[in-house]
Amino acid sequence: MRLPQSLLLLAAAGSAAQASSDKPARPRGLGPEFAKFYEDSTTFTCISNPSIKIPFSAVNDDYCDCPDGSDEPGTSACAHISRNSPLTVADRPRNSDLDTALALPGFYCKNKGHRPSYVPFQRINDGICDYEQCCDGSDEWARVGGTKCEDRCKEIGKQWRKQEEHNQKSMTAALRKKKDLLVDAGRQQQEIKDHIAILEAELQGAELKEQNLEADLQLAQEQDRKVVRTGNGKGKGKVNALANLAKGRVDELRTALVDVRRQRDETRERVKELEDILAKFKVEYNPNFNDEGVKRAVRSYEDYAAREQGTEGANDAADRDLDEIAKADGEESGVNWEHWENAEDGCNEPDLVYKLAAYLPPSLVSFIEDKVISARSFLEENGILAKADEDSSSESKAVTQAREALEAAQASVKTLKNKLRDQRADLEKEYGAASIFRALKGVCISQDAGEYTYEHCFLESTKQNQRKGSNSVSMGKFSHIGTTSMEEVNEAGEVVNVEKMIIQYDRGQSCWNGPSRSTKVILECGEENKILKTAEEEKCVYSMLVTSPAACAGGEEEGNVAPRSKDEL
Amino acid sequence: MARSLTAPRWAMLLSLVILLGCIVVPSLAVKHKDFKTCEQSGFCKRNRAYADNASSQGNSWSSPYELDPATIHFKDGKLTGVIVKTTTANEKVRLPLTVSFLESGAARIVVDEEKRIKGDIEMRHGSQANKKRYDETEKWVIVGGLEISKSATLNAQTKTGFTNILYGPDDKFQAIVRHAPFGVEFQRDGETHVQLNHQGFLNMEHWRPKLDGKDGESGEDEGTWWEETFGGNTDTKPRGPESIALDITFPGYSHVFGIPEHADSLSLKETRGGSGNHQDPYRLYNSDVFEYELESPMTLYGAIPLMQAHRKNSTVGVFWLNAAETWIDIVKSTPPVNPLALGARSKTDTQTHWISESGQIDLFVFLGPSPNDISKTYGELTGYTQLPQQFAIGYHQCRWNYVTDEDVKEVNAKFDKYQIPYDVIWLDLEYTDDRKYFTWDPLTFPDPKGMQHKLDETERKLVVLIDPHIKNAGKYPVSEELRSKNLAVLNKDGEIYDGWCWPGSSNWVDCFNPAAHAWWATLHKFDKFKGSLQNLFIWNDMNEPSVFNGPDMTMPKDNLHYGNWEHRDIHNLNGLTLVNATYKAMLERKKGEVRRPFILTRSYYSGAQRVSAMWTGDNQATWDHLGASIPMVLTNGIAGFPFAGADVGGFFHNPDKDLLTRWYQTGIWYPFFRAHAHIDTRRREPYLISEPHRSYIAQAIRLRYQLMPAWYTAFHEASVNGTPIVRPQYYMFPEDEQGFAIDDQLYLASTGLLVKPVVQENTHTAEVYISDDEKYYDYFDFTVYQGAGKKHTVPAPEEKVPVLIQGGHIIPRKDRPRRSTGLMRWDPYTLIITLDKNSEAEGTLYVDDGETFDYERGAYIHRRFNYRESVLSSEDIGTKGPKSAEYLKTMAAVTVERVVVVDPPAEWKARSTVTVIEDGAKSGSTASLEFYEQEGGKAPYAVVKKPNVGIGKKWRIEF
Repeated sequence: MRLPQSLLLLAAAGSAAQASSDKPARPRGLGPEFAKFYEDSTTFTCISNPSIKIPFSAVNDDYCDCPDGSDEPGTSACAHISRNSPLTVADRPRNSDLDTALALPGFYCKNKGHRPSYVPFQRINDGICDYEQCCDGSDEWARVGGTKCEDRCKEIGKQWRKQEEHNQKSMTAALRKKKDLLVDAGRQQQEIKDHIAILEAELQGAELKEQNLEADLQLAQEQDRKVVRTGNGKGKGKVNALANLAKGRVDELRTALVDVRRQRDETRERVKELEDILAKFKVEYNPNFNDEGVKRAVRSYEDYAAREQGTEGANDAADRDLDEIAKADGEESGVNWEHWENAEDGCNEPDLVYKLAAYLPPSLVSFIEDKVISARSFLEENGILAKADEDSSSESKAVTQAREALEAAQASVKTLKNKLRDQRADLEKEYGAASIFRALKGVCISQDAGEYTYEHCFLESTKQNQRKGSNSVSMGKFSHIGTTSMEEVNEAGEVVNVEKMIIQYDRGQSCWNGPSRSTKVILECGEENKILKTAEEEKCVYSMLVTSPAACAGGEEEGNVAPRSKDEL
Repeated sequence: MARSLTAPRWAMLLSLVILLGCIVVPSLAVKHKDFKTCEQSGFCKRNRAYADNASSQGNSWSSPYELDPATIHFKDGKLTGVIVKTTTANEKVRLPLTVSFLESGAARIVVDEEKRIKGDIEMRHGSQANKKRYDETEKWVIVGGLEISKSATLNAQTKTGFTNILYGPDDKFQAIVRHAPFGVEFQRDGETHVQLNHQGFLNMEHWRPKLDGKDGESGEDEGTWWEETFGGNTDTKPRGPESIALDITFPGYSHVFGIPEHADSLSLKETRGGSGNHQDPYRLYNSDVFEYELESPMTLYGAIPLMQAHRKNSTVGVFWLNAAETWIDIVKSTPPVNPLALGARSKTDTQTHWISESGQIDLFVFLGPSPNDISKTYGELTGYTQLPQQFAIGYHQCRWNYVTDEDVKEVNAKFDKYQIPYDVIWLDLEYTDDRKYFTWDPLTFPDPKGMQHKLDETERKLVVLIDPHIKNAGKYPVSEELRSKNLAVLNKDGEIYDGWCWPGSSNWVDCFNPAAHAWWATLHKFDKFKGSLQNLFIWNDMNEPSVFNGPDMTMPKDNLHYGNWEHRDIHNLNGLTLVNATYKAMLERKKGEVRRPFILTRSYYSGAQRVSAMWTGDNQATWDHLGASIPMVLTNGIAGFPFAGADVGGFFHNPDKDLLTRWYQTGIWYPFFRAHAHIDTRRREPYLISEPHRSYIAQAIRLRYQLMPAWYTAFHEASVNGTPIVRPQYYMFPEDEQGFAIDDQLYLASTGLLVKPVVQENTHTAEVYISDDEKYYDYFDFTVYQGAGKKHTVPAPEEKVPVLIQGGHIIPRKDRPRRSTGLMRWDPYTLIITLDKNSEAEGTLYVDDGETFDYERGAYIHRRFNYRESVLSSEDIGTKGPKSAEYLKTMAAVTVERVVVVDPPAEWKARSTVTVIEDGAKSGSTASLEFYEQEGGKAPYAVVKKPNVGIGKKWRIEF
């Protein structure tokens, strides 16, 4: 992108030099494109303020006369004409209301043997050879303090041309790579389309299967119910035995409950103690010391504290109930098992078996259930107990099998639907022009910088990995592709806005006292996918400068139709 | 199963929490409870109680200190004698007194304790601590001005019970020494200005053995005599109670200033309660106070026990030379006026009460009569501010932290791209390898030399942090040498003291030890501090010393330093000794390459001005802190340490664009101009700020650079006579009572520039107070403000900092923007002239190479510009030296490119030329003159184009 411009400039300079070879030399530091303003050899008219005329002898006399600085193309006398300067009325007599802008882009260095360039006026005769812009050393013509800047254009120009040639090659290669990427992207896009078609077919089949299995299950369930209903009850002995079993079970549960409760109370106390320690710690630690470990601990505590605890506090009434339940069964409290164990009255209703709970005092049932559940969930929430699997109720094998088969079929339908949805969404998604980033998705590049290795996986994530340790921090997950306006400073020292393509990554690991990490990947055209620089623009907001052939201009038109034709080649 | 799993998890988490607790809990440095109040400081509480007791007894109180007439001896300007203290048990304690009358007009009073001098005391706990009262503060602080007055004489006309000494210029001063009770009055021209022990608060807690089981027999509160516990640390106090205290009254004075460092107003407040007053005395005990609060007498990082008292046309001062923890109570009392005595004005006395934990009473009394006189005399004693390298007056860009050497280079390049000048970029803590000083992090700073070379291309500098705590770690040569050479501070048992700071477990270099200075110097050599180059300079932080797990965030008081002095005795000097060592180390890092060192220190004591700059520590990004920075910097200036500044932008938190802009507009008037930010803040380098604020900030910074010749001249002035670089109202107009308490506007040295930064949000005008009836001109558009003794409304839109120029000045400027001060060296000057009522003006300019000591051998230009009777002239006010001619030759091409005369006589309208006569030229020449009218209350001005007179030459321009 820079190349054509500079070539243009070179060409212009060349032609101007030829054209003006007969005329008197241009004033020092003046670019050829402005020569026309300096042709009158007696009077000079300020370029932006034609009402102001000064004798030509005041041009380049190292004193600023024009409010636009145009009388001093070769000195630093007008360098203060800038919106960065604290100007007083006497700096531009009678014209202090005019815009403060220089008419000239800077001091023109001819740089024979290299390309000409402008250097800001503030660098003229300051005792420093600004070879970067002025390889011929003409910026230090006054030799202040004995400064001598030799002409280095031959050497610098040679290097530059070599570099340009390399850049050219690199650019060509980059475009070639971009084409490949476009081809890949096109192919992948087609693959997705194909995949969608296949998935649609599969889904149809799966849905059919699901319907059949649903019918099967209904049938099995009906049969099962019949079995229970017609089953021949074996009389009173069963109730007694059941009561026996139940008693043992209830005792067991009670013991367990007491035990769990004790554990709960202990744990609660310890949690409370820890919370107190941490709350105090959070208030009293000194963030100034910037100890990452401490900060991390505080941060996790803040997250923890922010999560409202559902099972807050021990409720006295509930505890009294628990006390009640924890008492041994007998005539006074709980279940009078004797009554059940010795029950003579026959109870033939097999349903009873399933309704045992109805015979227990409601308080016992609900509290055992509630409290065990709440105690357990409290422990689970705090990560003390592993979550138990859902209880599965007992049912006949046939029904179970039918149900499992149906569930599997349902799952497969669901999976297929999801896949289909994902694929369709993917097709809709922004992958840049001609979907080019499709070809880069998941491609990871990394760069060592200081104590970290930064990693960028296209359209997936950015990461910061510690080089010394193994700590890896997410700097964001893919959010979107877009553009951003960046400030760049042009050769004249003016700040200009440039549009750049970006890939945004958000919702990375969250920061102490701040937002979750995010990364703006700014793309530039380059032969390789490469991270040039990673910077923390502000706390936990990163920017990553990445080169990629995908960011190079051009190539899309053919690219869009390329996939097939490329295959044919 | 679940249980067996959870147990270890809990145990792990719990132990982690406990571990964190161990690290952090002892260093709960935040907030009030971590720093002592007077009530929590035994000796302060005791002396306040002593004062209360004395006051409550009124006239019946008699101070138990008497000067034994038989011992009085006066010879060669020195009065000696013995003060006898009679205890409640009727014991007699002998306290030798010396009063010296100095050639400078200052008087010095020293009181010690005989038993302690003789070592005739027993130490408790078998302590090895020195038995004497600390008498070496002078060694670190005083560098001159102690010549005894030859003319001081006993006054023959003295009442019995008094000894009077006449001294000072023309014997205009008199010290009236009252024998019983002991007291001294200082008079100037027959009027009393300073009274010692006038209230009878003099107290010198003499050494006594601890008598077990006899607590309370003295009739005093002995609870804090033998042991004190604070912040979990117990002070063993091997010498028991040993505080000193004295009341100093300034009769007829209602304003006192000085005794930095506090975040408070310039005019000090009363400290014994009441509306608008403080509850606690001003405290001086150098401490690392986290997120310090404003309008507080709380101690901060540095201490200068110099106080000025000011009333109309008279300034006097006292300097309390004591390095121990010190508290100062201030009470202003206005005795009721007899309503029948017509015309009698109620007159306010300021009574101060100085309380130190240990050491001698060593007091200097200055009788002025002007603030300048105090600055000069105090400076003769403690030294003037060093003439810094030119770059040090430029803009400093700091941040915790620039993270890599590439980062530094990029910031450097960005400043150039956006054409904002700066001189110095700073590296905080994180550049080191694992917080080991004199090393570089190999991953983030692999090429420190490349980085410094890059900076040097535009004559820019690097400043890196070096702190006195040395990581206690193996394979770290600095730590190994510190320990093996026995140069570290010891604990009370004589073992190397181990405390907690940035690197974790650390030891502290003991710069009271001369051997430590020699060793410290070796560490800074280019071949030892690998990767350092000549454009690297040093920032000494945390030198209070800050100890995260110590009482008051510092070392235990019973720690031992070189000479077996307890930390208690020398605490406030600690920071200064480190900076002294660094200064010596920096003078000659490579043989034959002597340069003026630049060191920034956080902790300081009187004398630190000779070797360093200071900043006000960890402030916050709030408007209040912005406002507070002005009185803080002004106070430091009048206390002899003018090279001062506050973190521009505020250290903690993120300033918004408005605040940041106003802070730059204020910061350019700090003698030390540095932006700094906490590691958790957003980046805020000026070029990152969006327009239009970026331009506003750039304009402010360029304004600083434009006035660089005036700044450098002001620094030179401070370096030879101690005057503040930025000065408060009372200092400039000592006769204008309305201005005494004004501390939100300032004057840049004697340039005539009066600045009133905007420090309130959404404020677009400034009320500038003008004392005299001269015309004042707006710096930017020459609007005229005139009218004595009132405030004038000056517009202050967001891009503008209100600056006025008083009539009668000639201000040297360099108007061409460059990348750094070094690159302005060869630029021509612009002279701005404002005429006074008599159509006259004056200004000075000092120039030298800005880096070497060649100026000491005449390599400088010092000119006085005069405008009188329509002639502007430049005269040499320097003295020639062996290097003068050579230097002048290098500067021969540097000229004056422009002279702007503001508000010139109307008859100039008709003129178009001036005559220029340069010394040595065969004939005069002419230069063009243009006259410009202005409207709307703005003064006209005339511009002389290119007189091209040499800056180092004698010349005249005739208008």
